[in-house]
Amino acid sequence: MSTRAKLFRATVVLFAAVVLQVTIMSDLRIVGALGDVMLALTVAAGLTGGADRGVTWGFATGLLYDLVLDTPFGLSALTYALVGYAVGLAGSALMRTSGWWPVGVAALAGAVQATLYIALANLLGDAFPFSHLPGIALVMAAWCALLVLPLIRVMWWVHGHSEPDRLEVLLR
Amino acid sequence: MAISPPTGSRTRLAIVVAASVTLVTLGLRDAPIIRNLREGAATVTDPIESGVDTATRPVRNAWHGITDYDDVKAENEHLRNELEQAGAADITGTDAERQLADLSLVLNLPYATDIPKVVARVVSGPRSNFSHAVQIDKGSDAGLAVGMPVATGAGLAGRITQVTSNTATVDLITDPEIRVGVRLASTGDLGTARGQGRGDPLVVDSSIGPRVQIAAGTGVVTSGVDRSAYPPGVPVGTVTSTRTGSGGLALELVVQPSVDFDRLSYLTVLQWEPSG
Repeated sequence: MSTRAKLFRATVVLFAAVVLQVTIMSDLRIVGALGDVMLALTVAAGLTGGADRGVTWGFATGLLYDLVLDTPFGLSALTYALVGYAVGLAGSALMRTSGWWPVGVAALAGAVQATLYIALANLLGDAFPFSHLPGIALVMAAWCALLVLPLIRVMWWVHGHSEPDRLEVLLR
Repeated sequence: MAISPPTGSRTRLAIVVAASVTLVTLGLRDAPIIRNLREGAATVTDPIESGVDTATRPVRNAWHGITDYDDVKAENEHLRNELEQAGAADITGTDAERQLADLSLVLNLPYATDIPKVVARVVSGPRSNFSHAVQIDKGSDAGLAVGMPVATGAGLAGRITQVTSNTATVDLITDPEIRVGVRLASTGDLGTARGQGRGDPLVVDSSIGPRVQIAAGTGVVTSGVDRSAYPPGVPVGTVTSTRTGSGGLALELVVQPSVDFDRLSYLTVLQWEPSG
């Protein structure tokens, strides 16, 4: 697949994800918290393409999300990029374990991103209450775990399959 | 397998982190380029959002229908609106009585009746777990501007922080970053209300002595003091409890907002701008 085709597909996926996030997902609250398609996409990128792809998608999805939020600009980009990078590393390290490890990694990534975001937001003077963290982390983790497998397939559509794509073998 | 990343990955991470930190810094300084980017994004996404909102309403209703059957929900909505209106009238009434008793104001100021209003529909709730803003379907074309207060029949909901031609972003008073000048409807004591996040009550930092008794249920309205961001007399909530502030010299009031922020469907924008 040509680079231009990959870029086109990535753009389509990014815009579809942000529209999905701000329209449907923002209304599907569980215990007051909502899922994050943008983060799940970042996790899927890290799992399929390693740290490089994770950090790139994390920055891009976070930046796009930041554009439509009223929260500190750049903070989603920063936290998603860090999580994407870590997921990429974890993906490389855990690839030979059971077939469900992507779900576990995604859940952990959801909880970690929520914690990281709230910590950094407070550090920057945006007084987001820590009391909300457990509920948000739990819901983010659950949604990430639920969304990551379909989004891995979206990533394959965007980037094609790397060789050898052991993730595909595990999920088959 | 070693998890040490290649040098290229670390370089890319360093570049991205540096870029993010730069953007955060620009955002915190409210740089025009960031503001313009966000306004541009809102211009593009808000109409799409409004359209998708209409198209996907059945899906979202189905989700909410897991716990709320439509007829029960509609009835609850109706009853809730009636109760909210009654609560607002009660707070406003108490405030007006105090004003008359103090002879501090010669005119009755029932709840913002002299201020032009624009009614708008809420097209989306907070877009992330860390946001306290909702989007409405009216913008500068309808005469809205940044800073205008926004309310429901029950009381103050927030203020406009961003406007495009057809949409606006309303930051809710549950946002810990928002401060609202308030006064107790019964005594006229002044304070500053701040949000504690979604679903939590407001906290009012007051200058009231720690031994003073404030009854639960006491109404709280906007103070409207000079240069206030909100007009006077708009119901904010009712006191549920009090506690001594961190310095030990004044009371902190815990206030349940009048507005139910989980069920915002329409909002009224008060076309009012601070004096001075």
